[in-house]
Amino acid sequence: MLSMQNVSRIYRTETIQTHALNDFSLSVNAGEFVAVTGPSGSGKSTFLNIAGLLDQFDEGEYSIDGVSVKGLSDNQLSRLRNEKIGFIFQNYNLIPDYSLFDNVDMPLRYRGFNGKERKRRIEEALEKVGLASRMNYLPSQLSGGQQQRVAIARALAGEPKLLLADEPTGNLDSLMARQVMELLHDLNKDGATIIMVTHDPDQARSVPRNVQIIDGQMTDHRVYQPQSVSASVESEAELA
Amino acid sequence: MWHYYLMLSLRSLKRSPTLYSMVILTLAIGVGALASNMALYQSMAADPIPEKSDRLFHVSLNSWPDEDSPHQQPLFVTRYRDAQQVLSSGIPTKVVAHYQTRVYTKSLDAKSLTRFAADTRATTPDFFALTNAPFAYGRSLSSAEGNEVVLGSDLNDKIFGGSNSVGKAVEIEGKPYTVVGVLKPWTLRPRFYHMEQDSAFRPTDDLFVPLETAIDNNWGVNGRSSSVDYSGDMASSRPHNRFYLSLWAQLDSAAQQDSFQQYLDNYSQQLKDAGEHPLAINNELKNVHEWADKLKVVDQRLLAFSIATMLFLIVCVFNASSLLLAKYHDDKSEMGLRRALGASRNQLFRQGFVEAMLVGSIAGSLALLLSWLFLACSVVLLPNLKAIAQLEPAVLGQGFAIALLTALLSTGYPLWRANRASISAEMK
Repeated sequence: MLSMQNVSRIYRTETIQTHALNDFSLSVNAGEFVAVTGPSGSGKSTFLNIAGLLDQFDEGEYSIDGVSVKGLSDNQLSRLRNEKIGFIFQNYNLIPDYSLFDNVDMPLRYRGFNGKERKRRIEEALEKVGLASRMNYLPSQLSGGQQQRVAIARALAGEPKLLLADEPTGNLDSLMARQVMELLHDLNKDGATIIMVTHDPDQARSVPRNVQIIDGQMTDHRVYQPQSVSASVESEAELA
Repeated sequence: MWHYYLMLSLRSLKRSPTLYSMVILTLAIGVGALASNMALYQSMAADPIPEKSDRLFHVSLNSWPDEDSPHQQPLFVTRYRDAQQVLSSGIPTKVVAHYQTRVYTKSLDAKSLTRFAADTRATTPDFFALTNAPFAYGRSLSSAEGNEVVLGSDLNDKIFGGSNSVGKAVEIEGKPYTVVGVLKPWTLRPRFYHMEQDSAFRPTDDLFVPLETAIDNNWGVNGRSSSVDYSGDMASSRPHNRFYLSLWAQLDSAAQQDSFQQYLDNYSQQLKDAGEHPLAINNELKNVHEWADKLKVVDQRLLAFSIATMLFLIVCVFNASSLLLAKYHDDKSEMGLRRALGASRNQLFRQGFVEAMLVGSIAGSLALLLSWLFLACSVVLLPNLKAIAQLEPAVLGQGFAIALLTALLSTGYPLWRANRASISAEMK
């Protein structure tokens, strides 16, 4: 599904040069759920930006769903992003004066679907996150967790091959975070490939595969035993 | 997709109504000022008879009998006998002598004693064919003499209620004259056959009468009339040095022009040889454009004002662009989001283009309204502009197109800048 081989991303100023990613390699198979962890400034976001075709890389090879992205034009990259990738952002990135329907509609418009097809997909996606009855609401009428579920619906509506989640629970309280994580696990069980950047070790532990990035390089490649989210919450309660 | 872009543009306007109002107003004022100025300029600089303006020539002869002429030579009016010489040359396709007078007239059968003032053109029969005067009914004058008249549309409306009055009679100073033709409404801007002495934008005449009849009736000259040896009535002026007739000739080829010029020069030389004038041979044939240039029909102050309004419009575009720069700066995160969700740069440019067209359309409509107001105010302040302060369809179209263009120019740089930012930077 995703294959990065020896990818480097170097940021240069007049005085310094920083390797945000250094000779980074990672392969993710279809249906996997991968948590990417690491300290601030380690290169997690750079990895996610490159994986999501939001940023370019300087060296190496990157292919998504068998398509090498090197040398693609802006139009081709946009098309690839639209068709194969769904984004879930930490701060949801919903447009405040658009209804939930219109927010979820946005990527489908650029895909060129007709009105009927868009409506079907939007309703299905909102149904999946439990907000079908509120599709005419504005984001401000929802809680943070509900807004993130709308963002997930927006990511799902295009039926992408890969979901990229950047700290999806970072702005949520523990209850809402748990609900969002349960939703992501459900989606993974249904076959979605998910890569999630997180600071939260408990959330990382709840994910089948962990990748740790430090100083732009993969330092740890452990596969944890699957642990249910509810079990993790129970352990939190015990600690408290 | 264009429908979606239009919907997004409408939402964008709804989202920032104050900012967009300022942008639209700024562009509308700039375009409105320019469009009203263009309307004045185009009226002044218009070609009144494009089908043959390069083949119609005003004839100026220098036959002033004194060396110390008070007028610039050659004089733009000529004597009766000089005019007769030109009319009988047989060289031009058409040739006309005319002067303007003013009479009072009414229907011969009218019981009312009210007579209508009529600006009157005393002329020779070729006048109508030379000027392409449009006939609603009837025909042109058959001769430079006789009791025939042609009515202008307005006068026919006043006297005969706009009906076909051919064959009816009007009364002028107690005498009956038969109507042989009626013109359609006829606007010439400028009125090329009589542009002298700041009269280029006066309306075409109300009444057309045979030249000899007007002279015989002593209908005075309502225009330039210069004389060195005579101050009597019109009817006795024919052999004297009274200069008042305008001459126009239609010359369809270069050979015809050369031949006619030679004819004028020979005639002038004969007069000089006979001791009738002491001047150097200097006869001029000026086509409609050259004649308008010589008379400075286009007000030079208007040209200066045109430049000023263009500069003002540029300032307006910069101001609108600055406002939009702030707006697009605010929208960068949404543009980043759209890019992240699959919109290409081209798609965002297209969306910006639609938004600019929407802003331009609103600004254009407002600008045309403002230009109409500017022109109306101009006419109130300067009544002389009334004849040229007209918003023709061509000016309306040009004004609207300029509004669209200025909206595009205003949007271009802010849009390019916002679209240039990297997506990852905007999504942080």
